[in-house]
Order: sequence, then C-alpha cells, then structure tokens
Amino acid sequence: MKSIAPSLAAVELNRRRWLQFSGATLAGALGATGLSALMPATAQAQSGYKALVCVFLYGGNDGCNTIVPTDTTRYSQYASVRGALALPRSSLVNLSGTDFGLHPSLAALSGAWADRKLAPVFNVGPLNRPLTKADYRALANTDLRIPQNLFSHSDQQVLWEAASSTVVERTGWGGRAAATLGTVNPVISVGGNGRFGLSALQTPLVLPEPGGTFGLNGLENPTWLPDVQRKRALEALYAGSDSNQLLNSYLSQQRAAFEMSARLGNLVKVKPGDVAGSAIDLAFAPITTNGRINTPIGRQLYQVAKLVQDRVTVQGDRQIFFAQQGGFDNHSGQIAANSLEGDHARLLKALGDAMACFYNAMKAVGLSDSVTLFTQSDFGRTFKPNSSSGTDHAWGNHQLVLGGAVQGGTTYGALPELVLGGPDDVGQDSWERHGRWIPKLSVDQYAATLLGWMGASDSQLNTILPNLPNFGSNRRIGFV
Amino acid sequence: MKTFSLRFHGGPLTNVGRHGHISALLLASVVVMSGCGGGGDATEPLASLNSGPVLPASIGALESESVSKPKPQAVRASKPAPAPKQILATMPSVGTTQRDAVRLAEQASFGPTEALVATIRIQGTAKWVADQLVASGSRYTSGGSDAVHQNAASGDFCNGRGSNCWRDWSSATPLVWDFYRNAVQQPDQLRQRVALALQQILVVSNLEVSGTYGLRGYQNTLLDNAFGNYREVLRKMALSPVMGDYLDNVNNDKSAPNENFARELLQLFSVGTCQLNTDGSLKGGSCLPTYDNATVRDYAYALTGWTYPAGGRTSYGCWPRGANCTYLQGDMVPVAAFHDTQARTLLGGASLPVGHTAPAALNAVLDSLMAHPSTAPFIGKQLIQHLVTSNPSPAYVRRVATAFNTGQSGAFGMGQRGDLQATVAAVLLDPEARAPAPGASAGRLREPVQLFTGMLRALNGRSDGDALGWWWGEELRQHMFRSPSVFNFYPPDYPLPGTELVAPAFGIHNANAALQRVNFVNYLLFWNGSAPDANVPNALGTRVNLSAFTADADDPARLVERLSLLALGEPLPTASRNAVIQAVSAYTQQNNGNGYRTSRVRQAAYLVFASPQYQVAR
Repeated sequence: MKSIAPSLAAVELNRRRWLQFSGATLAGALGATGLSALMPATAQAQSGYKALVCVFLYGGNDGCNTIVPTDTTRYSQYASVRGALALPRSSLVNLSGTDFGLHPSLAALSGAWADRKLAPVFNVGPLNRPLTKADYRALANTDLRIPQNLFSHSDQQVLWEAASSTVVERTGWGGRAAATLGTVNPVISVGGNGRFGLSALQTPLVLPEPGGTFGLNGLENPTWLPDVQRKRALEALYAGSDSNQLLNSYLSQQRAAFEMSARLGNLVKVKPGDVAGSAIDLAFAPITTNGRINTPIGRQLYQVAKLVQDRVTVQGDRQIFFAQQGGFDNHSGQIAANSLEGDHARLLKALGDAMACFYNAMKAVGLSDSVTLFTQSDFGRTFKPNSSSGTDHAWGNHQLVLGGAVQGGTTYGALPELVLGGPDDVGQDSWERHGRWIPKLSVDQYAATLLGWMGASDSQLNTILPNLPNFGSNRRIGFV
Repeated sequence: MKTFSLRFHGGPLTNVGRHGHISALLLASVVVMSGCGGGGDATEPLASLNSGPVLPASIGALESESVSKPKPQAVRASKPAPAPKQILATMPSVGTTQRDAVRLAEQASFGPTEALVATIRIQGTAKWVADQLVASGSRYTSGGSDAVHQNAASGDFCNGRGSNCWRDWSSATPLVWDFYRNAVQQPDQLRQRVALALQQILVVSNLEVSGTYGLRGYQNTLLDNAFGNYREVLRKMALSPVMGDYLDNVNNDKSAPNENFARELLQLFSVGTCQLNTDGSLKGGSCLPTYDNATVRDYAYALTGWTYPAGGRTSYGCWPRGANCTYLQGDMVPVAAFHDTQARTLLGGASLPVGHTAPAALNAVLDSLMAHPSTAPFIGKQLIQHLVTSNPSPAYVRRVATAFNTGQSGAFGMGQRGDLQATVAAVLLDPEARAPAPGASAGRLREPVQLFTGMLRALNGRSDGDALGWWWGEELRQHMFRSPSVFNFYPPDYPLPGTELVAPAFGIHNANAALQRVNFVNYLLFWNGSAPDANVPNALGTRVNLSAFTADADDPARLVERLSLLALGEPLPTASRNAVIQAVSAYTQQNNGNGYRTSRVRQAAYLVFASPQYQVAR
C-alpha cells in the first residue's frame, strides 16, 4: 500500500508508469482478463480507503435557488428580488435545525440531511486572498488580487477546477492533489476531460458510462496468426517515442489506455442487472428503468460507485473522481409556467436523485465514511433575474457536500446579505446592482477542507493550493 | 440558452419554446422591416458560385439587393466585392512533393485521396488553393421545411408524420447526413473545411435549438461566407434567429436584458477576454482584460430589440407581446419597443448616441469589434489551429493577422479588413505550414470528424453520415451540430500534460477515446462499416472500397508503402513498417482462401490508419 506521502522516487515511478511503454503490459492489455473483475470485490478490504467525488455543474448553477432562507426577513428579501423565480416557502425541503430549505427538486437528499451527512456551504468562489467590497471597488481590474476574467464561463471553470486566481493555470487541483499525494491512479473521470484532473504530467483517466466498451474490438484474445500479427504490429506502432511532442503524447496516452483497459475494462462494462443481488443496483433502483439508469449524472455516479466498491481492482487507497452535469446556464427558461417547473427544476431533480442514490449505495456497501462527494460550478448566478425568466453570470456560489464523514445537519459559511448593491454585491452603481456575490470562502479553503480529510498534510496543501497561505489560519472550513 | 455538458448518450432534448401571443399590428410592422438580407436557406440558388467566371463574390451576390436599394434601417453589409483579380485564375502550376501535397490535403480538405494528391502535386499549393476558392457544390438540403414552425393546428406537429418526425423536422441529423456526404465527395473541400472551422468558433447547437430548416440555413450561411469577409460572417450570425435562440438574444428586452449573447460575442466570436498582440501573444505577458462587466452590459443593451423573422405561427399565439413567433429562417428583425436607446460606450472609444436604433447599434457594435486590435490574432490563430497546427509561432500568427487586417496576402484578397480569402491563403501558404521538416511542436491531433472522413476518402469510401452522429460521433465526443455548449467540443487552449503546448482536440481525447479511435478503424475495415439503412433518404451506408488496392496485395511491402504515402505522405518509421508488412503477409491463400488479397489490404489499412503518425497530422 502506497503511503500518501510518497518519496520522490515513488512519484517518479508513478510518472513513468504512465509515460513509459511496456510491451508485456500491452500484450496483457489486449488479451482477456477473465471474469474475475466482474465479481464484487471480496478480497482484502483496504484499510483507510478514501475517495473524493467532484460533481461539476457546468454552466453555473443558480445557488440562490438551490438553498433558500426560510426566516421571515430574509425570505421576504429573497422573494421580492427574485420575483417570478422565487420558490414558494412552503415548497422548500425543510433543513431542520436551520433557517434554510432546499429546492423542492432536491427532496431525495432529505434522508442524508436527517442522517446529518449533508452540508451546504455558502458563498464559495475563486479568490486570491480575502477580499472586501471596498477592496474590489478600489483595485484595478488588472490587479492580481482580483480573480481574472470574472463572469466568463470558460475562465471561471478553470479557476474552480484549478483552484487558481489566474486563468493561465494549466493544471487542476484534483490533478495536482493526485500527483502530490502519489495516488496509484490519476483522477478518474466519468465526465470527460475537465481541467480538474490535469496535472503537469498526467491527464485524467476518462472512462465510458456503464456498459460501455473500454477495450479493443477484435483483439481480445487472438489465436489466429493474422490477428496475432496485427496485435504485434499495433504494439510496434506504439512502442518507443517520437521527437514530435504531440505525437509523443499521443503514443503515451495510447499505451496508458491499453494498460488501463486490461485492468478496468470488465468492471466498466458492468451495468444494472449484470450482477445478481448487487447492493449498488438496489440503491440506484429509483432512477433505473429497464436496466438503464435514467440520467447522465446517475450513470456517472453509478460507475463511480462500482469503482469504489471494487477498489481492489482499481488499486490505490486514495482516489479522486470527477463527474459532471451540464445545462445550468439558465439565462432563459430557468423556470417555466411557475418556479417549480422549468430547466433548473429538472436539472436539480436529476442531480439530487443521483446524489441520493450514490449516498445510499455507499451506505449499502459499508463505505459511506470513506467517500465524500462535493459540488463545484462555474459561478453563481445573479440574485436579480433578467427579463428572460433567467439569471446571468455571477461569482460566489453555494455548494453541497455529502458523505458519511461529513459533519452535516448544519450549514457552513454565511449567506450573503440579500441586498442589491449591499456589502456582498460587487455592484454599487444602479446599473450594476444584480447581486453578484463576492465570495467569503475561497475555492482553496473548500479544496483544503476536502484534501485535508483525505490526508494531505499542511505542506502538501500548500503545494497543491499555492494561494491557501493567503487565508492565514483559516485554512479549512470544517465541514468534513 | 446554451448548455454545458459532455453528452453521455442522452436522448434528444426538445426545445422549450417561448409561447405566447403576437400583436397583428406589430407583425405587420416587422414584416416591412424584414426586407434586407439573404435568408441563407438550402433552396437558394448560388448562381455566382456555380457560374461565376473567376472568384466567388458570394457576399456581393447575396447582398446586392440590400446594397443597391438600402432600406431605412438596414444593417450595413460589407461592401460588395470589387472586380476580382485575374491573377488567381491564371496562377501558374508549380509542382510540389508527395509529402507536401498530403500535408496540404490534411490541412485544407477532409483528407487525401490518390487523385487529390496527384492534382496537388501537379498544380502546387498556391494554384490548388486558388482553384479551391472558386469551387462549390456543398449544400445542406436534407430534412423538413419551416412548416415545423408554422403549425397553427391544435395538435402536435408530429401527429401523423411518422416515427422519424423529430429526426427529420427538428433535429440536426439531416445536416449530419449532408455534412458527411459533402465532406467525402464534394469538390469544394477547402470551403467546407473553413466552414467547419467557423462553425466551431461561431457555435450553435441542436442540443438547445430545434428546427432542422433553421440549423440548415445557419450552416449554409457559413458555407456561403467561408471566403467572404469576417464582418459579414459576424453580421449574419448576429442576425441569425438560430443564434438568437441559442444565446437568448432574440426578444432580449431593454428592461433587464440578459448578457448571454453580448458576452459570448466579445469573448468567443471576436476579441477574447485577454488583450492580444498582433502575434497572438498576451499583451504585457499576462491576461490584461479586454473589457469589464460594464462593457458587457453596454453591448447587451446595444444588442436589444430583435425578434424572429416573420413567418412563424402557432395555435396558441406568441410571447412576449410585440414579438414574432419562433421562426428560424432569414434575419431577425428589429422591434423598436424592445430596443434600448440610451447612450452606450463600446470598445475602442466608439459610442452610441442617445436615440439610436437597433440596426444602427448593430453596425456600431460590428465596427467596434472589427476595429479592435485583438480580433485579427484571436480569429486568425484559431483558423490556424483548426487547419494547420495547434501551436503556431508568434510570427506565423502575425502574418495571418496582418492578412486579416489588410485584406491581402500575396495575390489573395480584396484589400478589405476581415477578408477571409486573404486570411485562409495566409494560413495555408505560410512557410510554417509548408515547412518540409515540421518542428517538435508542429501539427495537430486529427479531430474525430477528420478520422472518419480521412479514412473514407483515402479508401474510396462513401458515407451518408448516419453512423457518424449518434453512434461514432457520440463515442468520440464530436457529434456534429450538437456541441455541448457554445464553447465547442473542445477549447482552443487545452493544455497538453508533459509539455508546454496546447492541443485543442486533446480536449476530447482520453483513454476511452484512444481505444475508440482504433475501434472505429476496426469498424470500417473488419466490420465492413454499415450497410445502407432504408430509413435514411438516399442511403449510402458508411463503407470503404478496397478494390483499387488489391492489385498490390501480392507485394505486401509495396501495398504498405502505397497506403503510407497516401495517408502520411511518407513511409512509416522502419520498425513500424516492418511489423506492418509482416502482419500483412500473415494472410495467405492457404489460410484465407481467395479473399486473402482483400484481407491484406484490410490489415495494412488498419495499421496505417491506427498509427500515431496518422492520428497526429504534422
């Protein structure tokens, strides 16, 4: 079992494992691996296993309608600004013990709240260091104390995925954490190539959805001479290196793909119904129809659940996963005939149901305490709606953290003061009072809390999150 | 509306339209104002392209009516093209090498064929490019009409129209058919490649916009203007009801306008978020913001006041009051009541006076963007990345940006800022694009689309595209016309780990895609592709034809050489070449009967097209 604080040699070994080609490995990769990987993991349970699951909500989730204050004063502030977008107070999912409620589409999460394993975190966003409204208004927009290219999708995705305040950052905080902690695998993504999983040397390992092919058709177990020779020639094509950097990168990624498909191909293929009596299948039954999980985010989290359960095959005692859901850029049509319907309600329903199934699956396989799921998103959305039944790009946003280790049943951080042009709004002049919240907690602090739980030391956190020291002693938020 | 997602075999999303009522009075007034601008629909004849003696003058031809008879509120089209230079028509042929010809075919077509390579070898690069600037033939024509947005009956439009109704009338699947048929077979290869680049910069997606006829019109406009002027491309895009629907600018109201289109017009379609030098490098070495949110607001206000073209009908009226019903053909039309008329500040010191109209504001917006120093390097560099190389040198970007700004590149171009003939010629004929020995950072990962078309073309195949959308397009994350968001399938600055380079198409490349690329090669060669499907109009299936190559099958070394020279322009590295020849020789009459020759061609093609040398075009 690899220590989570590896020597440099271990990091180097890990790097070479990805960058170098082994003909023997490829030969294995292209061959059959038998049925063993189809079986649930019963081999030695790994002690101290911990996994993080990032769920990125692409487009910018409207945090203001994800969690809503229920006390009379703030609810009426909310309702008066939000207008038609305001959720009726009676419709909110009660978060007992707090003055808040969840969007009714997130009702499936009420069980986790009752277990005290769900924690909302208020007003998190990219920051270089703590920033007041006075600072924000006084500093030039080229000042590095203000995160770059605020309100732009692509740039703010980078800042959230990279835990950075500059948009030229190439690596993600998940990728850097995997490199610094020396995890056996890079970030495993079931949601595409997001920058979150990139490190200086590695790409995330991207897997298809349940039932997908993760291997080479026609070369599984060749015995006939022409097939054997084709496999051998394919090995020769991908042996060695090339002086062209793009070609060389393509070569090494292909070799990694061959290697990983041998290890994970059979596990990736498993879909609901393939393994009789599967606890994971049972947990996902509410969103499964005729053997297929209904939503993309549901299918991704099902895949993650299998990879956690079969962690012996996946290897490593620390694993970071990445999943994603798209469609949150609701400039229009955020609501339909009323605020309980429309695009945002539909999206949160898919999200809440999938998160609840995943949480229940982790409980069912006895790994709830070992897995922490958290949300990220491009940015929050303007508190004040536009005239298209939607909202525009903003900054600080509310996130959800879920898992057996989470200190839930309460909220973290502070809800912004719900006043347009108020102390939390970047806007001062009348034209710019839209309720774009200046974050009170940084992505760095949010990430440090999660990675600290995973076992990163303070010095490792400073390596992974170079702006973290700017927040002084307030390094962690305490939700897990 | 734009979504941010990678697609995971999700079903089709139907567009939730804006429902409501329309005022008859307003309808009448917008009809009057809608006279200018070409509709860009599939049925429009392109006389100038088909019969013009020399250069295409698509802008001038399409817009000649509005230029010669200006309407009071017309948004100014680019000036009509001046008399084209004869020099291009008489450009001499100067032969080039096999390697250079194959490289140009990779950069400027959907892949080399033996015939195309022979042509380029004889003509040379400049002459071939000049000829391509007058080539035509590609058009989006398949799928249903605007009737899908003229359903005044009470029932659903698809009632009684069969199980393919959504596919044929609302989805982009008919465009996928036309796209691949044209890419594999039509002679206007460069026009199609430039249109593909433009559609990946000026993205609209069927993920959010429904209406096959509208999507078709948008893509035809890009084909029409691929060798026109970038200002005109921006103008047509800004007025497109498809873009209006996609980024919420249609019916955007002055009271509290959404910022969606304004922001992406600045960020993605013209100037970008960070100020650029002419060579594409960051001004001052870091990201200096090109604009702030106040500017985004000003552009959002300036761009208010447009609704759908007249022509749509519903049984329940249209919303909001004063707007036209959803209709995706032709240009959007102004609605004065929706348009902000306050003074606004634009980039570069431009401004709008109090009392401006929506068309006047759009003219000023376009002028401000075309005048901005970042636009030429921002767009020029992306064209280089789409056609030639992911990491062009600053000097290369400067040369292309200069061609964009001056409208001139050697004999190419008409001297107006934004000239795409000059820009495209500068991209393709640059010494860096033509260097006999590309450097360590040269080249680009073939997009999945180019893997599909490249194999089909090289191996004399045919495709109706039906297998290349929901199946292979989804597998490899490039299902045409269904980009996950306005940010395209992949970003232009995706970092390549282990290097300091960027590599856009690596943004959708990963372990799964790596295996699926090889599986696609296997599908075409050992699964024999797809047979024609009776459900697809004029079905071709997706198949290669190996018969031309079987003549060399008895000499495996010669066969492998022939395929390598076609696909790569040069032999494979020695060790790879030897292994491939050995694998090809493994098929014999003895173990494979009379089909052994075809099997040998399959084996050779599988290995050549699965090779890393083919996947990364340099």
